[in-house]
Amino acid sequence: MAKESTTIDVGEPSTVTKSASHVEVDEKKKKGFVAAAAGGGYKRGLAIFDFLLRLAAIGITIGASSVMFTAEETLPFFTQFLQFQAGYDDFPTFQFFVISIAIVASYLVLSLPFSIVTIVRPLAVAPRLILLISDTVILTLTTAAAGAAAAIVYLAHNGNSNTNWLPICQQFGDFCQATSTAVVAASISVVFFVLLIVISAIALKRH
Amino acid sequence: MKNESTFIDVPAESSSAMKGKAPLIGVAKDNTTSGYNRGLSIFDFLLRLAPLIAASVAAGTMFTSDETLPFFTQFLQFQAGYDDLPTFQFFVIAMSMVAGYIVLSLPISVVTIVRPLATAPRLLLLVLDTAIMGLTMAAASSAAAISYVAHNGNQNTNWLPICQQFGDFCQKTSGAVVSSFVAVVFFMILIVLSGVALKRH
Repeated sequence: MAKESTTIDVGEPSTVTKSASHVEVDEKKKKGFVAAAAGGGYKRGLAIFDFLLRLAAIGITIGASSVMFTAEETLPFFTQFLQFQAGYDDFPTFQFFVISIAIVASYLVLSLPFSIVTIVRPLAVAPRLILLISDTVILTLTTAAAGAAAAIVYLAHNGNSNTNWLPICQQFGDFCQATSTAVVAASISVVFFVLLIVISAIALKRH
Repeated sequence: MKNESTFIDVPAESSSAMKGKAPLIGVAKDNTTSGYNRGLSIFDFLLRLAPLIAASVAAGTMFTSDETLPFFTQFLQFQAGYDDLPTFQFFVIAMSMVAGYIVLSLPISVVTIVRPLATAPRLLLLVLDTAIMGLTMAAASSAAAISYVAHNGNQNTNWLPICQQFGDFCQKTSGAVVSSFVAVVFFMILIVLSGVALKRH
């Protein structure tokens, strides 16, 4: 068995050019660092955008939940058939909405550290994957709450002649306005969550 | 100028490699990764058939959920169908769109099987799946809210539960809603699958 060998001639210049070699080493180090940063550069940008989106989504979800929670109205007159008070707890769907959007808001607060980790370590895969999976679950919950509340708000605005469900917004204007605002805010947060998932996916993929 | 040289003895190839026994490390890693990704893609393709069935069943059941009562009443309509409630109309249309989307996404899934290391089709699938899952969930949850009101009514707003009279209609619509929630669960799994496959390269 013939062993083939290659000799590599590593020429090291003397002390005069030692500083030059030092510079060479520094250059190489710099190039390596720049390469790492370039690879993680756009990922770091994505992570920062992700963090800012999360902050915005926290604001919107807290707003949606609190607007629905405080959506009460008492009418100044009495009627024989309809209750003259309306609040979010008259509708189980709105109760579900308040609770689940509050859960979503607290999830977002808890996910901020993971987002910071992805900014600090842009090439790490595990935090991004965790964020992707949990964001998908929370997206489902948010869409469920927003969709169900939207259906009830639509019913309250328009009623249904076939089932004899009367539109209560005729009497409770302020209550309807507040609940509609809350539903719109929740829908905007759904869009934010879709963006967050797409950002995590783009940052996950390697070259 | 004194030139210092170092001599490094590098065997050109390992003897086993020359004999063809040990594969080069780079090729092995590529094979494992692409094999793993291909497995994920096949699983993704098969899993896509599940929400297709669930969405079609949901749309079909809701579409054919008509009921006509055998008696006459003065105040309530004695026929109930999905088109009496706009939310159910939205449900049928949305579920049909979802089923159509899944059929159209099957070729993209086949592309990820054939080219397991390509990231563009997977990313496209992930983004589209997320959007469609949002649509499915919106339709499912709004229909569920209306079904709940139909089953239980609402005392505070004087909305009477119509399921007392229209039992079959309510049963079919509830079944359709459950089926659409099943489709949502499968979409969630598909999204996570695409994410895991994207990170492995």
